[in-house]
Amino acid sequence: MARSIWKGPFVDAYVLKKAEAAREANRNEVIKIWSRRSTILPQFVGLTFGVYNGQKHVPVNVTEDMIGQKFGEYSPTRTYYGHAADKKAKRK
Amino acid sequence: MARIAGVNIPTAKRVPIALQYIHGIGPAVADKICEAVKIDATRRVNELSDAEVLAIREYIDANVTVEGDLRREVTMNIKRLMDLGCYRGLRHRRNLPVRGQRTHTNARTRKGPAKAIAGKKK
Repeated sequence: MARSIWKGPFVDAYVLKKAEAAREANRNEVIKIWSRRSTILPQFVGLTFGVYNGQKHVPVNVTEDMIGQKFGEYSPTRTYYGHAADKKAKRK
Repeated sequence: MARIAGVNIPTAKRVPIALQYIHGIGPAVADKICEAVKIDATRRVNELSDAEVLAIREYIDANVTVEGDLRREVTMNIKRLMDLGCYRGLRHRRNLPVRGQRTHTNARTRKGPAKAIAGKKK
C-alpha cells in the first residue's frame, strides 16, 4: 500500500542535514549515507550520494528522474555471478 | 468495415466488445467511449452510421492512447528505468520479475522455458 500523502515523503533527518551542508559548501563530494529507506527529494538533484549497500558506499548521482524513489533502489545489495552449472555447460 | 485507430476492423460484434480489439482499450475504456459518444452498448458495429464511427474515432484520438503510441510509451518507460540504473531497471535488463516475486521456482513468464541443468537429480 502506498504511503499517505498527508505525511509527506519520508527522509531520515541526517540525510537532509548532510545534503543541506553540501549544498551550502558547494563542494561536489560524495555524501556518505546509510539510509537506503529515504526518499529522493527534488532538492537532492545534482548531488552525489554514497549509498551503503551493506559492504560499501555506492556513488549515486541524483538526476531529476530519480525523484520520489528511494536511495536503496540505486545501490544493489546482492552480487550474482551465475550458477556453477551454467559455467560448466559453457566450457564444453 | 469500420476502421478505427489505424488497423482495426472488428464488425458484427457489439460495439464495446469490438472496440476491445484495439490495443489499449479494455472493458472499462470501451464502456466509457460508448457512453461518451452516446451509442447503446447493445448495438453492433455494422449498424453504426458513418457519423457515429467518426465520433468514436475522434473521441479515441482526443482522449485515449492506443496502439503504436501506447506501445511506444510503454517501451520508453521501460527504457527509462533501464537507463536509470535503479533496481527495477536492473531486473528488466536481466529479464527477471520486477515486482519482487520469487525466482527460486516459477517466474517462467519472464525467464522463458526452463533450461535443463546438467548433472542435477538425486
